[in-house]
Amino acid sequence: MWGRPSFYVVCQCLFALLLSMFSLFVPALSAQTKKGVPPVVARKPPAPPSGPTPRAEDGNVDLSGIWVPDSILLPGDPSYQPWAKKLYEERKANKGADDPERLCLPDGAVRVNPLPYKIVQGPKMVVLLWEGNTHSYRRFFLDGRAHNFDIEPESWTGQSIGNWEGDTLVVDTLGFNDKTWLDATGKPHSEAMHLTERYRRPDLGHLKVDLTIEDTKAFTKPYSFTRSFTLAPRNWELQEYICQAILDGIE
Amino acid sequence: MHLKTFLVVLAAGAAFARGSFGQDQASTLGTPQQGRIGRGRGPRPVGPPGPVPRLSDGHPDLSGVWNGFGGSGQDGPMQPWAAKIVAEHRKNGGAEDFEARCLPGGPPRAAPYHTSLFATPKLVLMLFEGNTHMYRQFFVDGSDHPKNLKPTWYGDSRAHWDGDTLVVDTVGLFEKSWYDFGGTPHTKQMHLIETFHRRDFGNLEMKVTIDDPGALTMPWIVNRTSTLETNFEMTEYVCNENNQDPAHLDAGIGK
Repeated sequence: MWGRPSFYVVCQCLFALLLSMFSLFVPALSAQTKKGVPPVVARKPPAPPSGPTPRAEDGNVDLSGIWVPDSILLPGDPSYQPWAKKLYEERKANKGADDPERLCLPDGAVRVNPLPYKIVQGPKMVVLLWEGNTHSYRRFFLDGRAHNFDIEPESWTGQSIGNWEGDTLVVDTLGFNDKTWLDATGKPHSEAMHLTERYRRPDLGHLKVDLTIEDTKAFTKPYSFTRSFTLAPRNWELQEYICQAILDGIE
Repeated sequence: MHLKTFLVVLAAGAAFARGSFGQDQASTLGTPQQGRIGRGRGPRPVGPPGPVPRLSDGHPDLSGVWNGFGGSGQDGPMQPWAAKIVAEHRKNGGAEDFEARCLPGGPPRAAPYHTSLFATPKLVLMLFEGNTHMYRQFFVDGSDHPKNLKPTWYGDSRAHWDGDTLVVDTVGLFEKSWYDFGGTPHTKQMHLIETFHRRDFGNLEMKVTIDDPGALTMPWIVNRTSTLETNFEMTEYVCNENNQDPAHLDAGIGK
């Protein structure tokens, strides 16, 4: 019974040996292919102070401050054309495996991440800074210029022109590429996306942004919702978040 | 040994092929434009004339889109250990430069693309077009550097006015960043002072002082000028989009 091992037994042993060796390498391989930064940990602000809406020197509502988004997911879904709905379903089925945000590519102008945003307001320009994702900025031009797509017809965050309508800053953004996700579930859009944001500060501690998204190539009708932000405490400041350094393992 | 040499040569070749240590990497720009490249390769242009615009508090308004802040084109007054490292960086073709991997160039480094300044009375923003398209904040509100600063790529900047010159003081800089093309090493002692003087409407004069007793033999002072860009707006530069060959530039990453 314990004589020389048969051919089949030898093969089985070799196969088992190879399989166990392979299993040593598989974890390393999946670490390389499943790249992406871990999800950020949000810092929830306390209830903000109460008080009236502050005003800037030029009399406009002052939107300046550090703002924390109340929610990062879009309510409901846009009404999608069939090709876009299919793409959305695929992304949902993949559970966000291809999320550009995980690879440190820009969120774009619609998507927010949980880390704080800062608005810096001047009479001719408003700058929106974000701590997370690409740690970058959007500029809303209030100097009367028109959109100009000669040099850069498409970008991740588009081109934004702003105008005050009473106490509301209306920001009109065009010139998007189709690469961003509208939120972490993978909601798609096309390069025809046209974003209108209405920024309101009803009181000291709250910012409301009414977003209307039109997209003749991806939606069957416009999609609108209101996003709320809470004012961060005075001792909060934007921290430095360098996504690529985390992705590369340097930080 | 042979494999290591091969990888270094490959990395160096990739770095040179990409040009300027990665800064000419695939952007969405079309043809090169005035001010985007070519800085330091000829006589510097003069910006448009006119009076210095002012903020509501009377201080100069530094706001504008400014053409590429030039470098000094020279090495700093390095201690021998630092000079040795820079020489090695040159031999490797800058393959270890984090900027080529779409990581920040530490201050006072500026890519050859535009830099925008946006000034309000208590806060001046420096917005970069190139490199990582990020921002620096200069707090002009009388506040001090926080205690126990955790080092960051851009450090902590507090500024005050000296007449019509904005003086920006930066500490808390992450030691691994490359603040110039040579990758001059820097230490926890690095203290950076940058001054901004808008000579007239279209011309900005800057003085950079790098005080790092751990790596330099004396403070390194560099004078820079920039001109107001009046023809083009800044575009969005997304370095890590279409980043074709990062795997061949990983010599030294993480070390």
